[in-house]
Amino acid sequence: MLEIIKPGLETSIQDFPGRIGYWNQGFPPSGPMDSWSFRLANILVGNDAGAPGLEAQFMGPTLKFQSDGVIAVTGANMVPKVDGEEIPMWESVAVKAGQTLVMGPAFQGARGYLAVAGGIDAPEWLGSAATFHKAGVGGLDGSAIKAGQVLPVKAGAGQTGRRVKQACRPQFASDKQWHIEAVAGPNDDWIDAAGHERFLSTAWKLEARSDRTGYRLDGPDWTFTEKATNKPPENGVFPSNIVDHGYPLGGINLCGQKPIILVNDGPSMGGFIVPYTVPSAAFWKLGQMKPNEFIHFSRVSVAEAQALRIELDDLCDEESIES
Amino acid sequence: MIYDEPKFLPGGDRYITVEFGNEMNLELNFKAQGLAAALALSGTKGLVESAPCFATLLVHYEPRDISYDNMVRELKSLCASLGSADEIEMDSRLFTFETLYLDPWTKECIDDYREKINPDKDYDPDFVARLNGLEDRHQLVRVHSGSEYWVASLGFWPGLPFLQPLDPRAMITCPKYNPPRTHTPQGAVGMGGSASSIYPVATPGGYQLFGRTPVPIWDTTKRFDVFEGDIVLFRPGDRIKFLPVTRDVYDQAARKIEEGTYIYNVFEYQKFSVRNYNQWVSKLDKSERF
Repeated sequence: MLEIIKPGLETSIQDFPGRIGYWNQGFPPSGPMDSWSFRLANILVGNDAGAPGLEAQFMGPTLKFQSDGVIAVTGANMVPKVDGEEIPMWESVAVKAGQTLVMGPAFQGARGYLAVAGGIDAPEWLGSAATFHKAGVGGLDGSAIKAGQVLPVKAGAGQTGRRVKQACRPQFASDKQWHIEAVAGPNDDWIDAAGHERFLSTAWKLEARSDRTGYRLDGPDWTFTEKATNKPPENGVFPSNIVDHGYPLGGINLCGQKPIILVNDGPSMGGFIVPYTVPSAAFWKLGQMKPNEFIHFSRVSVAEAQALRIELDDLCDEESIES
Repeated sequence: MIYDEPKFLPGGDRYITVEFGNEMNLELNFKAQGLAAALALSGTKGLVESAPCFATLLVHYEPRDISYDNMVRELKSLCASLGSADEIEMDSRLFTFETLYLDPWTKECIDDYREKINPDKDYDPDFVARLNGLEDRHQLVRVHSGSEYWVASLGFWPGLPFLQPLDPRAMITCPKYNPPRTHTPQGAVGMGGSASSIYPVATPGGYQLFGRTPVPIWDTTKRFDVFEGDIVLFRPGDRIKFLPVTRDVYDQAARKIEEGTYIYNVFEYQKFSVRNYNQWVSKLDKSERF
């Protein structure tokens, strides 16, 4: 059992891959933004890679353990301390009943992850414990964790001293510059050659008004092909308007002139084009970016994006652990 | 236009958009929903889920289990086997919703917007009626409640249905609020573009409002069996009829909902045949309104 002393900025129960199968009713999958760090935390403590754990955003929580157990902290460096003593990240660590874990502000990266051996025992909403707090769904009560709550933990027997091999850990940008893959489509033919060139050569700044539903990017205006202007009226008045269509997760949605990357809690459909899509293997980087940092997009093919995805899944495995 | 052959567009490493055309046309949505149903039945390895929209179907697949090219091949062959839209027949539930048109709650919401945002904004029912050449707000109620509505897709907010009138004589259009409202009451009924909707919960919104239903379409507490374990009531391909009722009937339904004794009015025995529908539409005098 974990007693929440301070919840941090926005700490939520998530599982992986989240709430899958309800996109046609408008439900996003939710789940951890950086599923690489999240899965490794679970594997370290002997859980299934997708078991419910905590995602802490920008500022970590303070928790008191009500029973002995094994934990692992991964993701952003929030300098985790147990009873004032710093503990190693990317490693399984024993904790005793009555001890307090403090996770502070994120120094490198943006989101920290905590896995507990056994996994957090949260109810499933449509097959998943993942929190989608905008709609009051998932987690213990549909929202991020709150001070005073007690999170039940399932029985589990983790081993201590298990570490993620150095080469198998994600490397977070230390110079605020992130290189993120993008696949052209589904609506790349609405953008003209200059627009594509501008997309790939710009350092896009992540705006503060970004959250688990969408990442708003600041950069130059877009230019369009004839497809954007010569279209039936029900497509809408702006060049980037299209007859409402389903959005792929990771889609770079052009809302007027404003690109918004649709992430884990994003909308399932709408009336703007999606000229590029960020593939699943690059989501961990989005999850670890902070506002006012920069994205440099590099274009990859569908096949390349799929190879990256399979490579990443292979890293989220027992093979990545040493003891 | 409706394309002769659908287009297949990649969305990153795990999505494909199947685009049947580039206009608002029920025929395109029937095709999208027909393909969704055929795909679910096909047992295609690597298929995760699909979601229809007005003119497209978004397919989510697992790249570990099927490549992009093979998924496109599978989708092409399913599209070919579906034939013309006329061949499509789908299960379709029909829901009836007690609706208080020209209700006090959406009026209050509109008045609030007029007071704080735009004093020149017309009362929504009058605005929509005038824009569509109807006599007055009462004819708007007759026209809007005269048709069954087709759940073309769900989104913007989980469970929010995008509804198209099945009777072309009930087709009306109007722009959305600009800027949008910060608040809309739960159960508000309204429209934007050519789509009608019901607000599942109180949210911001942009549709012109002209009614409210007390019947929940969103339930996280599992109070009503009709949700079958889901949180959201509707699925694409359902149909909805708005039943204009008096304040007394509205209050009675609201009371039963409060008590948990409300019985949803839903028919589940019908199939929707695109051929039969098209034959019926072709016989109508579309210049008439209700």
